[in-house]
Amino acid sequence: MYNDKTFLEKFKSFSTFALIPLLVFFAVVGLPFIFGLLMTFTDWTGFGQTINFTGLQNYRVAFDDPEFWNSLRLTFKYVIYSVIITNLLAFSLALIVTSKIKAKNFFRAGFFTPNLIGGVILGFIWQFVFSRILVHAGEFMQIPFLTESWLVDPNRAFWALVIVGVWKNSGYMMLIYIAGLMGLPKSVMEAAAIDGAGGLQKLLKIKLPLMIPSFTISLFLTLQRSFMVFDINISLTNGGPFKMTELITLHIYNDAFLSQNFGSGQAKAFILFVIVAVIAVSQVSIMKKMEVEA
Amino acid sequence: MLKKLTMFLLVFALVFTLNTGVMAQDEVTEIQLLIGKPEIAEQLEAMVEAFNNENDDIELELIPLAGQNAYQRFTSMYASGNAPTLINMGSEINEFSDRLLDLSEMEIADYLVEDTEYNYQDKIIGLPLTVEAFGLIYNKDVITDVFGDDYDLSQINTRSELEDVFTEIEAAGVNAITVSPMDWSLGAHLTNIMFAAQSESTEERHEFLEAMDNGEVKLSENKVFNGWLKTFDLLAEYNAHQSSPLSPTYDDAVLELANGEAAFWFMGNWALPQLKEANAETEYGFLSYPISNNPADYGNNEISVGVPSYWVVDESQSTKAEQEAAKEFLNWLITSETGQDYYINEFNFIPAFNNFEISPQDNLSKSIMSYMEQGNTLEWMNNYYPSGYFPDMGAALQKYLSGYADQEQFTQEFMNVWSK
Repeated sequence: MYNDKTFLEKFKSFSTFALIPLLVFFAVVGLPFIFGLLMTFTDWTGFGQTINFTGLQNYRVAFDDPEFWNSLRLTFKYVIYSVIITNLLAFSLALIVTSKIKAKNFFRAGFFTPNLIGGVILGFIWQFVFSRILVHAGEFMQIPFLTESWLVDPNRAFWALVIVGVWKNSGYMMLIYIAGLMGLPKSVMEAAAIDGAGGLQKLLKIKLPLMIPSFTISLFLTLQRSFMVFDINISLTNGGPFKMTELITLHIYNDAFLSQNFGSGQAKAFILFVIVAVIAVSQVSIMKKMEVEA
Repeated sequence: MLKKLTMFLLVFALVFTLNTGVMAQDEVTEIQLLIGKPEIAEQLEAMVEAFNNENDDIELELIPLAGQNAYQRFTSMYASGNAPTLINMGSEINEFSDRLLDLSEMEIADYLVEDTEYNYQDKIIGLPLTVEAFGLIYNKDVITDVFGDDYDLSQINTRSELEDVFTEIEAAGVNAITVSPMDWSLGAHLTNIMFAAQSESTEERHEFLEAMDNGEVKLSENKVFNGWLKTFDLLAEYNAHQSSPLSPTYDDAVLELANGEAAFWFMGNWALPQLKEANAETEYGFLSYPISNNPADYGNNEISVGVPSYWVVDESQSTKAEQEAAKEFLNWLITSETGQDYYINEFNFIPAFNNFEISPQDNLSKSIMSYMEQGNTLEWMNNYYPSGYFPDMGAALQKYLSGYADQEQFTQEFMNVWSK
């Protein structure tokens, strides 16, 4: 493989490993993407009998829809809170778990398990918790803000979504941070200790800069997951109460499958893709420039 | 060399065993049924098992719905080229008309009650699932306890009389009514009363729907709308869950009504299987939702009766064998003894077919049939709502019910759902 000189030889070694996965990726992700993009320029309903080229009509409808912008604003709000809280929580947990406490593996497994529970089941369990368990606990212990189910008030339902999202994702991000922390070179730490750096200085001046690659990955993943959250949204609140917690993916889904507006739904999905791609790519490239060597 | 040969034979054997499964299935036709009726999910499973036991050459499979509504599910299944053969379709049958099989030749089509099937270009493409009705369901035992045995509740046909009934029930220590906040209950069924009571002529009702769509209607000046909304205020005032009107679920109301903790519930007879499960002894009846204080007004004496959905067989994405198997199933359900038993006794459906040997015995179904015999029915205008409208109307009513919007904002939002 390292002695390949001609293009054909290089292509052969590439194909033995990567050709089949590439074909699968193209068939499952690439082709639908291209078809979807083409579909936004027509008025095809997905299984209708006629296809007419309509230009940018679907995008105009999508841009004119006030619900789309409301939902996008709500999603941005959700993403900001979700990303900050998840990463803070995950990093703190990672610091705790890599320190000298006993039962480290138990804590690691325990914090990671929420991530393994599928989003829909998670939403249903938490719906039960919010509307039954907490309400009973609130009535029993006379705590006022718990006596009414959190899911019937638009603001509290939003925070319920944030809580469940953070609960699910922190475990996964914690593992990334643990891997980053364990990969820090011990020699640097020892040198800092000899030079008289205290715990907090070590954390801020040495660990954090060296952890930037982990931050890059973790931020990218939380951004992507929070923007595209769907399963928790549909099972916890289903957009309720009265459509005030309808995040952008649920809005697109309802637009396409409930209101049968496939053209504008697909156009909105594309706009969402462009927004998330721009944010994610710029985030990664900015942070790559901030990385430091040991 | 020998190693290579044994490896090759092993792989070949494994691949061969994969094929045997496929070969055995050729004699059994597999068809799928998609039906959006979660309240009878258990009974449907039992019926499917009974059908599969009685018919060895057909394997019927029920598609589970995980909180989605059936419409979203079969839309995505059609889009992926994977449509189920047997579907229970509601008002969306209009859009799929050209993909459905003609059922006019079936034996059971001769038993249909007039005007209950769905027609398209002179073909029958939908057989009625059941006759359903919604209105104010009341717990008969509570009424007898409060008012005595001789009291006839059906004489109530104005809002002020209903208010008197509510006050007396409250005085006896029972919650007068439990209001369910689901967007389909409020947005599709409750709104139907308003649209159906607009006029006694079906043409004028449809004209009203069109006028709403064109933004030509000023709802605040519409007598029926105002009367309907006033009665809704009455229901909200006596609501058992007044402090948190959006929290109760469908199951909460079932338990409350069945156990006599509430006297009234605005719902339909599809809830009967669950009400019976909660309390097998209670008897129920229907009362119309009054929209004014004039007993002669159209709408005060009627309950909304209609066919909620139709059995359809997909033609565009099913093989001939699958279509025949689907027709077999429909025949079995409507004509065989086991099928009829499930239909009447387990699902509590009211048949729109004349050949049934047994008829529903419970008070709720009898109440519906008596309203039907007297001709006191409101058409199900909700079958003609454009797709996606009822959740928005439901959301507007939820805001109004919880005090998030006042009457003016609610009226404006309601009109916007149609005119935008």
